[in-house]
Amino acid sequence: MKQFIIRRLGYSLISLIVLSLTIFFFVRVTGDPATLLVEPGASEADIAAIHHQFGLDRPLVVQYLLFMANLARGDLGQSFYYQMPVSELYLSRLPNSLLLAAVAMSFSLLIGIPTGILAAVRVGSFWDSAGKLFALLGLSLPSFFVGLLMILFFSVYLGWLPSSGSGTALHLIMPAFALGWYFAAAHMRLMRSSMLEVLGSEYIKLARLKGLPQALVIGKHALKNALTPVLTLAGINLVLMINVAVIVETVFAWPGVGRLLYEGVSFRDFPVVQGVVILGGAMIVVVNLLVDILYAVIDPRIRLET
Amino acid sequence: MTASFDGGPTNPRRGRPLRATRRDVLGLAALGLAGATATPVHAAAPAGQLTIGVHISLAPTWFDPAETAGIITPFLVMYALHDAMLKPLPGQNPGPCLAESWTASPDGLTYDFVLRPGVTFHNGDPVTAEDVKFSFERYRGTEHATMKERVASVDIADPRHVRFNLKAPWPDFVTFYSSATGAGWIVPKQYVEKVGDDGFKRAPIGAGPYKFVSFTPGVELVLEAHDQYWRKTPGVKRIVMRVIPDESTRLAALKRGEVDIALSIRAELAEEVQRTPGLTLQAPVGSAPYWMYFPEQWDPKSPWHDVRVRRAAALAIDGKTINQALTLGFSHLTNSAFPENFEYYWQPPPPVYDPEQARHILAEAGFPSGFDAGSYTCDIAYANLGEAVLNNLVAVGIRARLRPLERVSFFAGFGDKKFRNIIQGASGAFGNLATRLEAFVVKGGTYAYGNYPELDELFARQATELDRAKREELLFKMQQIVHEKAIYAPIWQLAFICGVGPRVAQSSFGLIKGFVYPAPYEELTLKGA
Repeated sequence: MKQFIIRRLGYSLISLIVLSLTIFFFVRVTGDPATLLVEPGASEADIAAIHHQFGLDRPLVVQYLLFMANLARGDLGQSFYYQMPVSELYLSRLPNSLLLAAVAMSFSLLIGIPTGILAAVRVGSFWDSAGKLFALLGLSLPSFFVGLLMILFFSVYLGWLPSSGSGTALHLIMPAFALGWYFAAAHMRLMRSSMLEVLGSEYIKLARLKGLPQALVIGKHALKNALTPVLTLAGINLVLMINVAVIVETVFAWPGVGRLLYEGVSFRDFPVVQGVVILGGAMIVVVNLLVDILYAVIDPRIRLET
Repeated sequence: MTASFDGGPTNPRRGRPLRATRRDVLGLAALGLAGATATPVHAAAPAGQLTIGVHISLAPTWFDPAETAGIITPFLVMYALHDAMLKPLPGQNPGPCLAESWTASPDGLTYDFVLRPGVTFHNGDPVTAEDVKFSFERYRGTEHATMKERVASVDIADPRHVRFNLKAPWPDFVTFYSSATGAGWIVPKQYVEKVGDDGFKRAPIGAGPYKFVSFTPGVELVLEAHDQYWRKTPGVKRIVMRVIPDESTRLAALKRGEVDIALSIRAELAEEVQRTPGLTLQAPVGSAPYWMYFPEQWDPKSPWHDVRVRRAAALAIDGKTINQALTLGFSHLTNSAFPENFEYYWQPPPPVYDPEQARHILAEAGFPSGFDAGSYTCDIAYANLGEAVLNNLVAVGIRARLRPLERVSFFAGFGDKKFRNIIQGASGAFGNLATRLEAFVVKGGTYAYGNYPELDELFARQATELDRAKREELLFKMQQIVHEKAIYAPIWQLAFICGVGPRVAQSSFGLIKGFVYPAPYEELTLKGA
């Protein structure tokens, strides 16, 4: 078990190094941030001064090594645009993203799991078709489109909800739905297929042969096993919701990490993009690591195989 | 600064004290340079809250004039929080602000400023000559190298008198000090030294009409009226600048009354503003003319080498229709590649749309069936304009392909002189006609793909000409040559369309020519407040 954990930790570290290399060089392919910080016609001296100020006049390798050295000390650098430490910016946005993600995730699970169960239990019925349609729309409608439609209907026409911003529970409703629908659809589909698989297993047949009521068979015996992959996916999705809800946060002017990433990309703010991606990646790696360890604890075959 | 016998500083070149005399003041008055009276107009107490839906994330660097970038956006905040010695004001560019007057020596080597009496920063500290000197020396924003290279020293005579000594005559000193840079925006020396640069950005104190209350990055900036503002007591008690990056959401917020002013609304959405009772549109025109540029005009093998072909391209542009379709007719059609609000602007004849004449000229130039013009390269953000112009060109036989590039790639390629055929560009950089000509027309200019010796010669002459009338004549002549040679085919000077809600009595849009934001903020008023 110890070796398994060490090996997994090593993989995680390699993943993060590869991620840091990729994002570091990838953002630099997008162009020179100085071009966005001055008007066309600016003198070359001004552009050179910006390069110098941000350390962009150094060789790329030196920039990367400095970035990694700072990262090892927990310093994500200084935002070009905000002129503030990226970690401070990230932490100021994180509570908003956590709140939005928590509500959106609750919504997606509350909708996705029951509809998935219903669709699996009543295969081919109206409920199954309705569930499939719900999933199809959730997965295929772009979240900006859903968001704008909601703003138009609930804010402008009905006047029930604020169009954007944050601060009250009412501000949360539309962005949480727009963000949660996609994930609710994904959870619903997985729940349905997982439940169908479980319902076809021998122990469920046995439970039914024993004459257990349908609700007990589904609710007690099938649900527990069918839920495992859904919750695993939900864990990863939660990290995605926190870090990459770029479109929803932008449409609803929700001040979260996703919008910070959008701002970073828009302004070629390399440290912000690097910081958000690295922290998001680190969260995913940590969640995966924990899941792997948990699986290994539950199922010894896994730690022996890998 | 050297000490004089009475303890006051002296001008090192002339050796006389810098203290302003009665004769100086009379001289200023005679020159007509004395500014507005020092007595502030105190209207009713500020009242109410006005929320502005801002299209872009506000950056703390904009709270510190020392870091003014060469773009107009920081002035959205600076006009509220800070004040300058001189700055563009309604009907005056530059207008006297913290400096109630200024004068230049006949040799153009010294500029004397007299500070307005009784003006204080938001923390109650008086604005003094020390703050002026400190702010200038601390300045590290756009063109700071130019400023520092040309200014030999800043001398303080007394708390109200400050002198800038130049190394050589520089006719554009006031342009740079008042609007092309942030060097003339004054910060409180004592406070900045106490809290440091970072502390200042976190809790800025200025001398502007609004005080800093709070800032949440990516969310909002809250400001409160500075009742003692010298120019006028602000009409609105509290201004909130709320960041709403999505245009449709900004419009929804305006319609719901969540914001009172929505900045930057595209034409399609602006029509919705026009249709909505209670909402009005404001469309100030900024300092960014858009044009086509022909980088191959210096290549004898290219069709663009012939001035008639370039003129035909200009004649082909149906500016009126394009303006109506894309900016609801609010942009200014122009026949100049330079901003109409800039100092030394020469007014060309109005633009003409005449496709028949364009075809005729092309035939005369040897292209009766038109020609394949290659690529029409533009910034993707303005590809809609490019598409419309391209259709006009095709209609007269100039066949080109639209090549929209992402903004960074576009300006990098433009500056590196990598493009050929046709370039659609623009610039909103501050300055005056001389600074604009330097970048876009004169030999070695950042965006000049070639040069004309007569223009270079005229530019060199104007750069040292201290007589304003003679300098104007030279710069007019340069613009006439640019026009005659059709170096550029101008399209329009772009309007910045904004929506205004029913609570706003005066939005301040357009009060300052060429400035697209609702300033001066002290002029903003709410109905019934």
